[in-house]
Amino acid sequence: MSSSLRITCGAEPTRGSGTSPEIVANFFESLIHPFGFFHPTAGLLGELNLSRGVNSLLSPSQHLEFESVQQLAQTISDLDSISIALHHMDSEEFAIWCGLGKSNARTHLMQLIEEMQQARIRVKGAQLQLDFMHNQPSARSLFRSLTQLALVGVVCESRQLQRAWLTSTRTSLSKKWISKFESIQVFSGSGVLLEAEALRFVLRVKWKGIGDCDPAIGVFRNQLVIDVGGVRSFVELPAACSRMEPGSVRLSKNKFEIDLAVKESEWPRS
Amino acid sequence: MSDENNDKKSSSDLGSWLNSMGAPESVTELMPSEITGLDIAPILSMLGRVGIKSGVRGAQSGDATADEIRWLPVLRG
Repeated sequence: MSSSLRITCGAEPTRGSGTSPEIVANFFESLIHPFGFFHPTAGLLGELNLSRGVNSLLSPSQHLEFESVQQLAQTISDLDSISIALHHMDSEEFAIWCGLGKSNARTHLMQLIEEMQQARIRVKGAQLQLDFMHNQPSARSLFRSLTQLALVGVVCESRQLQRAWLTSTRTSLSKKWISKFESIQVFSGSGVLLEAEALRFVLRVKWKGIGDCDPAIGVFRNQLVIDVGGVRSFVELPAACSRMEPGSVRLSKNKFEIDLAVKESEWPRS
Repeated sequence: MSDENNDKKSSSDLGSWLNSMGAPESVTELMPSEITGLDIAPILSMLGRVGIKSGVRGAQSGDATADEIRWLPVLRG
């Protein structure tokens, strides 16, 4: 899939910096307060930083600039977090508010969610350009950043990477690093629920190289959260998981498995 | 009225403030007018006292809410 969007990572952004990250993140909570919502999403929205470019992703601009690959990955992650938060808002308190007669409120919310989904489609199909002239990372940190970018579904072509590296450093990437960069795969974001034994299930999620990423893995309502250095990807859990209690995660090189125990009180077997 | 006072007035409603922070107008136009027209001066003055933490709200007091990310223990195989 491709879009007409072009994203440059490593450039000095021409706008979008200079705002206070905390004040923008707090805006969401402040907006929620006056209308009677009670922090439906504080855990998810915490530490989001709109100045890192979420507004840019939502803009109609055909060329976006980010300071680094890591910043782009973080911004996409923030966009996804906000989108999920808005969906939850719609499903709960916001629906109540609409029911109290605030005209068109839900329509506006749906339009904003739709715009976020369109932004996500555009960025996934964007032409990615790397520029290390202003900020030259080490190969190791770049590998980490590109892994984070792959976690949120965006791929960087090896040829583009090698060309940018050569231009800025006047040296070629070693074969070892080329091989490592080429091994990065985009996270496809699906899991399989397997019955292990009576009342015990396993959710298996595959992603090549995840064992080397040192991920944090968690659950937020009906979403599985995979966090690599603050960049998060979300996987909608199978509906049956809402009746199960997650246990520990077994992490191996190319997959992880979450143990799930059925809550017998909520899901009695006939 | 001085320019400084004009600036304060124009940025005290939510829509203007968002635009001044770099939000595209296409986004603020999507928001209901009762929201964009909000006088946010009192809210901005409160922001210093409002805080949200990522995934660890209530960590100090030990309580948990459904709105937190529940991190799971990871065992390396």
